[in-house]
Amino acid sequence: MNKKSAYIVGIITLLIGLWGFYDRFAYGHDHAAYGSVVVWGLWVALYFLFGGLAVGCFLWASLDLLFEIPACKGTGVKALWAALITLTAALIAIAFDLGHMERFWKVLLQPNLHAGVAEDAWGYTIFGGLTAIALFRAVNQKGKDGVLKVIMVLGLVVSLYVAGAPGKLMGVNAARSFWHAGMLPVQFLFFALATGAALLMVILTFADKKEKLESSLSILHPAAIILLGINLYFTWSYFSQGIAGGMPGIMLPAQEIVSGQYSGLFWGVQIMLGGIVPIVVLALNGKNNNIPLSGLMGLCILLGNGVSRYLILVAGQKVEMLPGMSQAVHGPGLTLTYSPSTSEWAVASGLVGLVILGLLIGADLLLPMFTKSRQEA
Amino acid sequence: MPNEAALLDKNASGASGVTTAPKPTGAPAAKEDVLFRMRTELARALKKNPRERRWVMVIDQRRCIGCHACTVACMAENKLPPGVVYRPVVIKEVGMYPKVTMTFLPRPCMQCENPPCTEVCPVHATYTNKEGIVVMDYDQCIGCRACIAACPYGARTFDYGHAHTDNTPEVGGMILGRNTADNYERDANVEYGKKRERKGHSSPVGNVRKCHFCLHRLMAGILPACTTTCIGRATYFGDAADPDSLVSELINHPNIVRLKEELGTAPRVYYIA
Ligand code: SF4
Ligand code: SF4
Repeated sequence: MNKKSAYIVGIITLLIGLWGFYDRFAYGHDHAAYGSVVVWGLWVALYFLFGGLAVGCFLWASLDLLFEIPACKGTGVKALWAALITLTAALIAIAFDLGHMERFWKVLLQPNLHAGVAEDAWGYTIFGGLTAIALFRAVNQKGKDGVLKVIMVLGLVVSLYVAGAPGKLMGVNAARSFWHAGMLPVQFLFFALATGAALLMVILTFADKKEKLESSLSILHPAAIILLGINLYFTWSYFSQGIAGGMPGIMLPAQEIVSGQYSGLFWGVQIMLGGIVPIVVLALNGKNNNIPLSGLMGLCILLGNGVSRYLILVAGQKVEMLPGMSQAVHGPGLTLTYSPSTSEWAVASGLVGLVILGLLIGADLLLPMFTKSRQEA
Repeated sequence: MPNEAALLDKNASGASGVTTAPKPTGAPAAKEDVLFRMRTELARALKKNPRERRWVMVIDQRRCIGCHACTVACMAENKLPPGVVYRPVVIKEVGMYPKVTMTFLPRPCMQCENPPCTEVCPVHATYTNKEGIVVMDYDQCIGCRACIAACPYGARTFDYGHAHTDNTPEVGGMILGRNTADNYERDANVEYGKKRERKGHSSPVGNVRKCHFCLHRLMAGILPACTTTCIGRATYFGDAADPDSLVSELINHPNIVRLKEELGTAPRVYYIA
């Protein structure tokens, strides 16, 4: 796919999204399919995905801008820009999900800092600020920049924290045993790193000839293989333990994913397309850095990881808090079933469009600046 | 006997700050009703410092007949829209044919003494008030629904802004249709002693809602709507800090259980199983 087609895809998905944005503003949550049982749906899954992507991109940027690994030279600015764009998409997704998005400021100014949502909000705000400063300095960098290094160190620490924060947000809910696992935040960190690498693989596909930076792929590919392997291991331990344990609160959602309603998504998209296929293809590709293929594998990894967040999030809520509850209450939003509504999909499409266009426009505007400043240095 | 309707009217017209307990003057027949005793005890409790009383609810599952009157009374009292339920009755079939029976479990908010729902609220919009009741500040809630995810009892629901009269057709020029039919839905309720009309997207639309032991009634000396409506007299309410109260007697029996006690939430709702 060339850059022009990517622009077209970005514009079409954003146009679809505009209808979704209008629907959300005009009708609130009227047309959303989540409710009072499955309270967090597609938009929260996208918040996790885009938030993880932002953190992952920042961590990859640190290889260039902090650790100065020669093979990664030149990827830092692209990665930081991608971090800002995906963070914006994450924040829009979560703002749309709130019942009163106009009160979002309260989370920052009147927070309960013990609460995961407030921790996330503050964490991402600090992270966004550090990323923006780092990007500004990196773009205008002339020679060694000590301040940039300090910002990158701070950003690294904050990134490690916010990478696991969504896992904590779910994990603190002792009532939901499927989520209440100590390793959930750690899983989110590895998911973030894998998706960050994947997005960079996609971005490099669209870089100009002289900016192809093929050397960085020699780091990204093996790293992606290892991270996907770790993710598959986490997935295996999480689900096999949950099912073998036999406790209904864990076993039932795990079974729903592995062998129930979501088995197609789980095996087909999360495990095969987003895990095994990229591992095999990238491994077979070896040192022959086939850039379009690399970009395609990056897309597969993003899709697989997006599905994995969605499944963990949604299946963990499809549990009756008291046996028989779902039969006792009837009405909108009081059901254990959930599949995203058209309006939720439209907003998702818009967010994807925003990210695509943001990345393309940013790269087209930033790269020349970036190249110029590096040449002057 | 106190005139409940009069008290409710008084409450509705100026709910906040109503703290005077009624003086029960029941007729002899009413004295035999357990409601009369609870009302007397309520009046006694209201004379105490709020921090010295401990509101609890006791539900006798053996007496519950699964009529759902409490669910409906709660909906009427708090003007609950579709999708918002404070007190469902969970029905369970027990045994094997032909020896089958049913058990009924009315489930209000447990008013946990260690509530996981308040801990996760990012803006302190839900908290335990001085009465020991877990309340909502509708003007503070951002609608993130983290508290719903955290509640082990499924006791919270989100107000998506639906109306019972949604999709009711309009007939031009006649006193029919949605605009007339939904007047009662738009009228203010008095939860937390504050009148709130359902208008557009203003709170409590977009907020999480939950049972509050009918705090607005309690402050006016009236028992919760579910308690007064229970035709099986299966729901008891009162001050467990008062050793002479009915609820104190009941919760000291060995056959008392609390739901999911292993989680350490310390519910203030007890069941006689
Ligand atoms: S039952 Fe649920 S909503 Fe009520 S206090 Fe306990 S945790 Fe909170
Ligand atoms: S929905 Fe409202 S009350 Fe519940 S956690 Fe979020 S802000 Fe707090």
